[in-house]
Amino acid sequence: MATWSERLAGVRGVLLDISGVLYDSGAGGGVPIPGSVEAVARLKQSQLKVRFCTNESQRSRGKLVGLLQRLGFDISEGEVTAPAPAACQILKERGLRPHLLIHDEIRSEFDKIDTSNPNCVVIADACDAFSYKNMNKAFQVLMELENPVLISLGKGRYYKETSGLMLDVGAYMKALEYACGVEAEVVGKPSPEFFQSALQVMGVEAHQAIMIGDDIVGDVGGAQRCGMRALQVRTGKFRPSDEHHPEVKADGYVDNLAEAVDLLLQHLDK
Amino acid sequence: MAARRALKAVLVDLNGTLHIEDAAVPGAQEALKRLRGSSVVVRFVTNTTKESKQDLLERLKKLEFDISEDEIFTSLTAARSLVEQKQVRPMLLVDDRALPDFKGIHTNDPNAVVIGLAPEHFHYQILNQAFRLLLDGAPLIAIHKARYYKRKDGLALGPGPFVTALEYATDTKATVVGKPEKTFFLEALRGTGCEPEEAVMIGDDCRDDVGGAQNVGMLGILVKTGKYRAADEEKINPSPYLTCESFPHAVDHILQHLL
Repeated sequence: MATWSERLAGVRGVLLDISGVLYDSGAGGGVPIPGSVEAVARLKQSQLKVRFCTNESQRSRGKLVGLLQRLGFDISEGEVTAPAPAACQILKERGLRPHLLIHDEIRSEFDKIDTSNPNCVVIADACDAFSYKNMNKAFQVLMELENPVLISLGKGRYYKETSGLMLDVGAYMKALEYACGVEAEVVGKPSPEFFQSALQVMGVEAHQAIMIGDDIVGDVGGAQRCGMRALQVRTGKFRPSDEHHPEVKADGYVDNLAEAVDLLLQHLDK
Repeated sequence: MAARRALKAVLVDLNGTLHIEDAAVPGAQEALKRLRGSSVVVRFVTNTTKESKQDLLERLKKLEFDISEDEIFTSLTAARSLVEQKQVRPMLLVDDRALPDFKGIHTNDPNAVVIGLAPEHFHYQILNQAFRLLLDGAPLIAIHKARYYKRKDGLALGPGPFVTALEYATDTKATVVGKPEKTFFLEALRGTGCEPEEAVMIGDDCRDDVGGAQNVGMLGILVKTGKYRAADEEKINPSPYLTCESFPHAVDHILQHLL
């Protein structure tokens, strides 16, 4: 394999996944991953452009950022690309009125969206709100529609909480796809539009950007398909088998964000 | 495709075909009697996993259907045999009423997941437990993968979507034991002494009843009761051998054209 300096040459912007890279969510909000608070601070002091690119769909950006700030992270809402605002834009553009299968903590993102007489379903990481009853309601809405539209905020399989791995929205998206015979439109990673929008805000070309995430398919595979480079951290949902994934090979595997930042700063174009 | 032979066996679905929950399909009891008056063997095959065989039988008796226990073949029976064959201790995500069919099976410290239609268990924390077992390598046994079923208050999600969710999350495939699996239909025919080419299946689920049966070489008749929705017959290729209004019409067709 190429040396780190070859692999990291020309990087000008860094996209950081949040859950599993910065912190692990869990009871009481969650805990920072050791070294990540300092790593973010060091990155932001460097000449690299930094943006946070998350599929977090259990809480609003405001709540997420507030939590991360309490954990010690230097982060503001304007630095976060998240799927809920992107979905709202799509809903408005297409005149869609969603039935929302979401967690209460993210409901505020949809405050300005008309949800009367729904003509689509939006599904997010609803966690405990993924009851049979709520799933059934979403299913019934879709079955009533002549052209069922299902919008999913991300399609992750699972994520890491302090108590262990947790089912993510992707599993429930697949359940509704299967039940209704539809294909969901995914807003969030790994959709190329989502990565592109984050790059655009940063003002960095894909080939100058690197994604750091814990999801081999959603973060690493998705970013690479957009022409970016990508590192996988061995934190969060990382499992050793990820390093032998049949389809996706990261540009590098690092123990955690701190190691990724060490390498980036060490090999930064002088 | 094997050449068709004289019809010897008729497999009949229960919920949605003979009855819809606690109401018989009009004329179904008489039609069953007419069918029994001919020379064919009749078996009742069901993916209704909510209830044990005993419950099914009681309901059918209440609705005045003339059916005996050994004529019923359910996906629960099929799941139990697989658990015994694999010698595993399952986490049972099945309706409490189905538990009698798993009497004597060890379920402590589970190393497998058996999933049926269990709305009361299909909440996030329970599914997450199942998910973690599967990630540790436990096999996933699905009693069936039906997408949805008909309730009095409308269509409701079947176990299939939840099986699919667990499959996707863990990148594994469930072993499905109910309809539309080939082994299910072959097991149901075992003991009748009939070949698939000598049998017909009647059901309201185009994919699971009709498609599944036709895949093993049986004829499939789709009835427009229960969960049937307009244009369902276009969901499978080849299309159903016959689509008709209800079970009595299917019986009439068999008596007039297939014997």
